Amino acid sequence: MRSRAAAAVLAREGFQEAYSMEGGIRAWKGLRASGPPDAGMAYFDPAKKAEEWIALAWMLEEGSCKFYGEMGKKGEGAEAAVLFRELSDDEEKHKSSLFKIYQRRSGKGSDPGFPRSLLSLESGVDYLEGGIVLEKALEWAQGKGRRDILEFSLSLEVNAIDLYIKMERKVEGKEAKEVFQALSNQERDHLKRLSAALQKE
Amino acid sequence: MGILDYFKPVDTWPPEKVRQFLDEKSPQEYNLVDVRTPREYEEEHLPGARLIPVGELETRWKELDRNKPTITY
Repeated sequence: MRSRAAAAVLAREGFQEAYSMEGGIRAWKGLRASGPPDAGMAYFDPAKKAEEWIALAWMLEEGSCKFYGEMGKKGEGAEAAVLFRELSDDEEKHKSSLFKIYQRRSGKGSDPGFPRSLLSLESGVDYLEGGIVLEKALEWAQGKGRRDILEFSLSLEVNAIDLYIKMERKVEGKEAKEVFQALSNQERDHLKRLSAALQKE
Repeated sequence: MGILDYFKPVDTWPPEKVRQFLDEKSPQEYNLVDVRTPREYEEEHLPGARLIPVGELETRWKELDRNKPTITY
């Protein structure tokens, strides 16, 4: 009902194509993201936000890179292990494209403060999407089967996509927009591959 | 938003069509708007959706590009 009313308001305001999704989110069979609308971005100083978002994205890529790397070492089910290693390599590439854009924007060739001091984070703790501590996630994964781990990975990717779409929307500068757009597309590809792997379980 | 908005015929899409559309397009090509409350949004939402609660849409629709296909839920 709310959604139909919303579409009606938009149509009245001149939106040529406004559609209400039947059944609302309850009818949605796809994956869902969680977290507030600003996905934690509001936490950062607006004056420096683009650089901080880049640092945040880098940190999260680092976390998932390590998580997938560890999952890739789990021998059971060679196919899934290969997938995790490939995902880990991709996240490593994402880190370098994020670092390059940071260098260009900040004008700093190397910066020991990147990314942690930009985010006021202590060294030694790695994070995943949603503020999950990597170490805890790895502990959790120890006793779990492939299915649970794939599902957890899917939730990481969905939240990463959600975050990158929002960052792309808000960040200024064509180049940074392109980086976030490319990242969200690549994470969408990860999502497809993880979903395919999950369907085989 | 008046009460009459609730009774206007609107175009609707089944979730499966929405899903296919979102799969095929990149997020820059459409508006996806969650019109529920911040609390509901925080609990779960479609990836990349913007939150504009239905009661705020009257003033905040300008945040959206009206030339793009727009999906609300």
